[in-house]
Amino acid sequence: MSFAEFFQAVRDTQFFTGVRESMLVYPIVMSLHLTCIAIFGGMILMTDLRLLGWAFTSVPVADVIKQFRIFKWLGLIVMVTCGILLFGAKATDYYDNPYFLIKISLLLLVGVHAWVFHRDVYGNPEALDRAPAIPGKAKAAAYISLCLWLGIMSMGRWIAYFEKPDPIHDRKSNHAQTASRELHSRPTSARR
Amino acid sequence: MLVYDPATNPLNNNEWSFPLAECVHIATFAMSVGTIAIVDFRLLGIELRKQTPAQLLKETSLWTLAGLIITISAGLVIMTTDPVAYYLNWAFRYKMIALVVAIIFNYTIHRKVVLSESSSPGTRKLVALVSLALWTSIVFSGLFYAFT
Repeated sequence: MSFAEFFQAVRDTQFFTGVRESMLVYPIVMSLHLTCIAIFGGMILMTDLRLLGWAFTSVPVADVIKQFRIFKWLGLIVMVTCGILLFGAKATDYYDNPYFLIKISLLLLVGVHAWVFHRDVYGNPEALDRAPAIPGKAKAAAYISLCLWLGIMSMGRWIAYFEKPDPIHDRKSNHAQTASRELHSRPTSARR
Repeated sequence: MLVYDPATNPLNNNEWSFPLAECVHIATFAMSVGTIAIVDFRLLGIELRKQTPAQLLKETSLWTLAGLIITISAGLVIMTTDPVAYYLNWAFRYKMIALVVAIIFNYTIHRKVVLSESSSPGTRKLVALVSLALWTSIVFSGLFYAFT
């Protein structure tokens, strides 16, 4: 079984067909995915800004990191669950989409980031509060985290604009025509 | 009479500027809604309990405001790609009304309750839930354009 056949089979399961074809489920799952970006992405951003000393300076680093931890985990679980539903429903559009593949690679790097910086930054935030200044390693962790998540968000958006090579299609036509018809977030009436 | 033809809009004539505007829009609304949500979760009493809601508001308000200004600007840029279609879309109309209500709410009632030390836990929770519901519905309606 090739990749193409496998993802076609995933897409065609009764469950994912239901997700794809529902007038409500698909947009609601996508909206939840986006809401998680706002609420939990906001927490990631503020944690990074705290480590950089740009925001929350009157709150100890340990409070910011520890108090947000459970929410960030919850947010990640909801976000990934929504992501899997969105992927499965259109598996054949995604699995060979270069932006999707970059996004997944960046997500794996987030895991690597957590593992690398756990001992000196996230696992022992009290030490950061005791230090006279935020150590360079913690700032590096914050910068890298910001870049990774901005990259993940951007690649997620760009997935919708990739078109599989099609010799007949005029790539230089109006943007409204070249943008992917199913995925991007413009009004239906705008898709001429 | 001036007639605007969206086909002349640069955002409709290359492949990268429209998604880039969307990314700016998403990143900065995440900053605004995220910072508002941090204060709301504190009002609900579920995080950063060692800090007062007022302290968290002071720490986040600049980021919230900066995010709102940039995200609304990026939103206007996105809207220029097809203003009539947006105007006629019910999800967009809801979003605009809810956005005005949410901003007014955020800088009046929400702010007052957050800064007041005498507001009751019930009032705080109600205000937090209204705030979260309003902003979440704005995110939802932003996505529902594409499906209506």
